[in-house]
Amino acid sequence: MRTFLAIAVLGGGVAHATVGSALRIADVAPDIPLIVVVLLALRRGPEFGCGAGFAAGLLQDAATGGLLGVQALTKAVIGFAIGALGERLTVSQPLVQVPGLVLLSLLEGLARFGLLQLFHFPAPFGGLLMYVIVPQALYNGFLGAALVLALAWAEAVRSRPS
Amino acid sequence: MRIRALALLGIIAGVCLLLLTLQMRGSVGGAADALAVVTTPVQTVLARINRATLGVWGTYRDWKNVRVENRRLREESQRLRVEALRVTETDAENHRLRRLLTLKESLPLETMAGEIIAREWGGWVRSLTVNRGRGDAVARLTAVIAPDGLVGRIVDVRTGSSVVQVLTDPASSVGAHVVRTRTPGVIEGEPRGTLRFKYMPRDGGGLQIGDLVVSSGLGGLFPGGIPIGRVRTIDDRGSALFNYAQVTPAVDFARIDEVLLLTGGIMRDVAASFKSDG
Repeated sequence: MRTFLAIAVLGGGVAHATVGSALRIADVAPDIPLIVVVLLALRRGPEFGCGAGFAAGLLQDAATGGLLGVQALTKAVIGFAIGALGERLTVSQPLVQVPGLVLLSLLEGLARFGLLQLFHFPAPFGGLLMYVIVPQALYNGFLGAALVLALAWAEAVRSRPS
Repeated sequence: MRIRALALLGIIAGVCLLLLTLQMRGSVGGAADALAVVTTPVQTVLARINRATLGVWGTYRDWKNVRVENRRLREESQRLRVEALRVTETDAENHRLRRLLTLKESLPLETMAGEIIAREWGGWVRSLTVNRGRGDAVARLTAVIAPDGLVGRIVDVRTGSSVVQVLTDPASSVGAHVVRTRTPGVIEGEPRGTLRFKYMPRDGGGLQIGDLVVSSGLGGLFPGGIPIGRVRTIDDRGSALFNYAQVTPAVDFARIDEVLLLTGGIMRDVAASFKSDG
C-alpha cells in the first residue's frame, strides 16, 4: 500500500509534465497531481495530504522547470485543508465531487498566482484566470469525479465475494 | 494529531518559502539539481511509455483514417467507374452515329435514320422496332440497313414506330449472291437465329468458308450489294439438287441501336458504300 501511495504521489508529480499533454483538450491539461493529492488527503487525513501535496508539488515544480516550492506549498496547503475537512464532507456523490474539485483547483490556482506575485511573477491575472485557471479547474473537476467513480467501481469489484 | 499536522504544514510552508526566497536570490541551484537527479530518469521512462502509448494510439488513428479514406476512395472509384462507363457509352454511340452518317452520306439513295426502341427475340419472330412510323411516311417493306450490312425490312408500320423483320426471322427470305463467285441463292432465317444460304446450284458453286454474301437486288425490295454475312459452313447434300451454306450475319442484330431506312431509289447497287474485302 505504501509503495502504491509513493508511486501515486511521486509518479503523479512527474507524470503530469510528461504524460499530462496526452490528456490535453483544447490546450487545457488537467492537474493530475492535485487530483491525486485531494483523493489521498480525503482518505488518509491532513498529515498525509500535506506531505503528499508537498512531495507531488515539489516534483512537479522540478519537472516543469518552474520555481521550486510554489506548487509544493499550494498543494501541501490544499492536501492539509482537504485532509482536515474530509471527515466533515460527504464526497461520495459526483454532484459534490465535480464542484468540489473545481473549487479546490480554483483555490490552488489563485494561491499559486498570489504566491508567484510575491516573487514578481509577471503574468496578468485576467488572462491567467480566463485561459488557465478556470478551464483547468473545470477539467480537474470532471476528471477527478471520473477517477473517483472508477476507484469506487474497482473497490466494489474487489470486495465482491467470489 | 492536529498539532503534528499543523506543525508539518508550518515546516513545509517554511521550507517552500525559504526555497523560493533562495531561488530569487539565485542560490539554490544545488537543490534543483538534486531533484533533477530523481525526476529526470522517471521522466525519461514515462516519456518512453508515453511515446509508446501515443504510438499505439497514433497507429489506431491512422488505421481509422485509412478506413475512412478507403471508403471515400471506394466511393470515388465507383463514381468514376460509372462516369467512365457513361463516357465509354457516349463514345460508342458517337462512333456508331458517325458510321451511320458516313454510310448515309455515301449512299446514292434517300435514307432516313431511325433508332431501335424494342427487340423481339423469342425465336418465333425476330424483329426490331424502330422509332419511325406512319408520321414519317415510312412504307411497308422498306429496306432497313446498318453500317455493317442488311438488317431486314419493315413489315408493320404504326403511328410512331415500325416493326422490322430481321434477316434471321424464320419467315424472312432475301435474294443474294456470293461476291467472289457470283453464285446466286436465297438467304433465309432459321428458328435458331442463324442464316441459311439456299438453292445454290451444286455445279459451279465453288463456295469457300468466309465468302461474303450480299443482296442480289433481284425482286426489287433491297438494293444490290448490301452485305448480308459470310459463309460459315457448307452443307453438301451429296446427290441433292442444291447446296446449302450456313451464313454468319454481317450485322449483330442483338446489339444494333441505329439503322437507316431506305426510302426511295432502291434499284441501284450500293456495294461501294460498304466496306468489304470480298
